[in-house]
Amino acid sequence: MEPQLSWYLALSAVLFTIGAAGVLIKRNVISMFMCIELMLNAVNLTFVAFSSFFHDVTGQLFVFIVMTVAAAEAAVGLGIIITVFRNRESLNVDEANILKL
Amino acid sequence: MIAVIFILFAGMAIGCAVSVVVQRHPLYGAMSLVGVFVSLAGLYVTLAAPFIAAVQVIVYAGAIMVLVVFVIMLLNVEQEERRRPRLPFLVGAAVTLAGVLFAEAAFILYFVQATPVKPRDPASDVGLTFSIGSELFTRYLLPFEITSLLLLMAIVGAMTLARTGGLLSANTGVVPGAQVLAPDVLDPKPSPGAQPIVTNTSDEAARVLGIADVPRRRDEN
Repeated sequence: MEPQLSWYLALSAVLFTIGAAGVLIKRNVISMFMCIELMLNAVNLTFVAFSSFFHDVTGQLFVFIVMTVAAAEAAVGLGIIITVFRNRESLNVDEANILKL
Repeated sequence: MIAVIFILFAGMAIGCAVSVVVQRHPLYGAMSLVGVFVSLAGLYVTLAAPFIAAVQVIVYAGAIMVLVVFVIMLLNVEQEERRRPRLPFLVGAAVTLAGVLFAEAAFILYFVQATPVKPRDPASDVGLTFSIGSELFTRYLLPFEITSLLLLMAIVGAMTLARTGGLLSANTGVVPGAQVLAPDVLDPKPSPGAQPIVTNTSDEAARVLGIADVPRRRDEN
């Protein structure tokens, strides 16, 4: 039996929901960051599934650009995390409650 | 056959994703996230997208996760302690709403599965490196160039954010980190032998410099 398009969409929805729940549950900045990466990957799976089932390469180009954005986000986000840790000596988001350093 | 591979990789992806959320040490979460990335790469192969699968392993499981693990190691992250739920009566409501969401998703999934989907053409070249490259450098050249600009901005931003030190003027707070102080910032008379001062926290920097009574920026409300 061949996997259907809906299987991939369901898997993507499950992964995205787990990532969103993780962002809400977690209190550690790095854990929240990893859950955001999980959500990005779930969306990538949707793009590739549609691209493959509709014979259109545009979805895979979108995935390529999403990956670039994720790499840039990782660099800048981890820089922000290091700065916050240096100023507050904690990675707990409850303690970083004001934007001023 | 492909269905078996799909179920295998899908189960691995969901299991590792749950593990990312459940693990309380970020390093174990990062390792689980690598599992999610690898199983998604396997799923991309079943979708006839070998280029995206390779880039997934190289960029995500390779570069980004190495960066994350490096930061976890660098910052010496402690384990997240177990917290008591602040609003325990909401657990029942959450379970109910999750059940409603699940029912809606199953309903939609049933009707999506009922719609016919045209079969995949095994001879199509969608997903191969040639088709992606030719589209990327012809129709989508402008997004590609914008991407390069984005990467440049990310490089500059990350360097600016993670840089230590900086000039210490009279009305800024104390900046922790390794710094070589300009002699005339603190003392009007230039001192001959300026030494670099290495501190880790704001309080330590203020104590070493003897300006502990200067208000720190976060307290100036």
